[in-house]
Amino acid sequence: MTIDRLRAAVLPTGFAVAVLLFWQALVLIFHYPKVVLPAPSDIFEALVANFGTICRQAVPTSRDTLAGFLLAAVLGVGIASLLSFSRLLRDAVYPLVILLQLVPKIAWTPLFIVWAGIGQPARLTIATFIAFFPIFISMMAGLEATDRSLVRLSTSLTASSWRTFWLVRLPASMPYLFSGLKIAITLAVIGVIVAEFISSSEGLGFLILKSSALLQTDLILAAIVVLCLLGVAFYGIVVAGERAILKWQGE
Amino acid sequence: MIVIDARSAARQVLPPALGLAVLFGAWSWLAASGLVRPRMLPPPGKVWDTLARSLDLLLDQAGPTFWAAVTGIVAAALLGIGLGIAVSYSRRLMQAIYPTIVFFQLIPKVALAPVFLIWFGHTIVANIVFSVFIAFFPVLVATIAGLQATPPTYERLGQSLMMPPLRIFLRVKLIFALPQIFNGLRIGVTFAVIGVVLGEFITAQSGLGYIILFSANNFETALLLAAIVLLCGVGIVLFTFFLALEAIVLRVFDSR
Repeated sequence: MTIDRLRAAVLPTGFAVAVLLFWQALVLIFHYPKVVLPAPSDIFEALVANFGTICRQAVPTSRDTLAGFLLAAVLGVGIASLLSFSRLLRDAVYPLVILLQLVPKIAWTPLFIVWAGIGQPARLTIATFIAFFPIFISMMAGLEATDRSLVRLSTSLTASSWRTFWLVRLPASMPYLFSGLKIAITLAVIGVIVAEFISSSEGLGFLILKSSALLQTDLILAAIVVLCLLGVAFYGIVVAGERAILKWQGE
Repeated sequence: MIVIDARSAARQVLPPALGLAVLFGAWSWLAASGLVRPRMLPPPGKVWDTLARSLDLLLDQAGPTFWAAVTGIVAAALLGIGLGIAVSYSRRLMQAIYPTIVFFQLIPKVALAPVFLIWFGHTIVANIVFSVFIAFFPVLVATIAGLQATPPTYERLGQSLMMPPLRIFLRVKLIFALPQIFNGLRIGVTFAVIGVVLGEFITAQSGLGYIILFSANNFETALLLAAIVLLCGVGIVLFTFFLALEAIVLRVFDSR
């Protein structure tokens, strides 16, 4: 058991370290120009040298990501709950959302910039728009997957449809909702970054594109390292929320 | 019987049609009411006109987008399924590599697009490689998950029937993995389109992504929406193709 657990920790770390060493060796042996492939050590140096700048640019990116995600969660859960009360409304809206879901949503980004300008509102809208769909769809799935006999039981116990929703359907849909939230938080980061690529004068996406124009590949990758850490941290927050709610439900 | 069928068909078709009608009605009314400037939101009729008038130009630009996405998903499928099989072959290898793959799933890979530009220049090659890069991960993860989905009893049955490992793999494990692999391919195909469009946003040379960005910069919202309509077409064609492929393959290799 302990050996197994040790192995589960050591093997992946070993693999990651091996990849980094291989990368470093590759650059040392073949002398790739720093523009094409900076070594991990170069990226680390760039990270240390520009740490202040990167952190400053990480602030707007994090702010817009989290705000967009929260807005999408409120909208997604709210609209899905609303639709669960009316069959007609559900049948009218749900297929359209699925259809819209097929469209590459990134393609809408420029439209939102036309509508909301090139400032923070546009980035927020884009993050919300992209993160909305997985939340809405998984919440719908969760509300529909509720055990029929439970719903029927509570109806025959003369619970109002509101009470049935609040005490039966909503708790039952939590695992579904969180699988949607986990997808949505990664998408919210992507939405903000794309918006910053297209139109922005701040944020990590802007820093990345600017460094690319200046051929500072090491700075691009340093910014991406920070972005990855942020992305994993946000994801971790959602997972922690999921654990807390499921544990609370279990009690 | 036929009456009931017609009624259930009507129940399936009518509400979404109603929803669509309300959507278009609201759009037309909003555009006509003067509350929003036509530059911001052209009426549906104008988008249709623009689509009809600029169809040649749009189709010209849809070509590169479509073929880049096709190349992207095919290459991503080959790589993802191949690597998924290789990784699943050994438990140790899997333990070592899988967390790294999950990490890559979590990080915003989109941010790496500018690096691909530095490597491949402002060309369609950069778009294709980037599209492969982001479409590859869902296929890989789905393949790995699928290959672990075989019920152990079936594997043991194969072993006690003295099937050689390769045969067990081909006739049992791979068949059980098929639904998951297709699940991954469905996600991958939308990712491939996203990758190409994003590449076109940044390289700004050709393709529907370029048209969308170009018309946004010139406030030609009608052209922008027309390009999005065509892009939806590209997405739906590719998605439907994979759905059909899934239906055919799963029928041939029905695991139950």
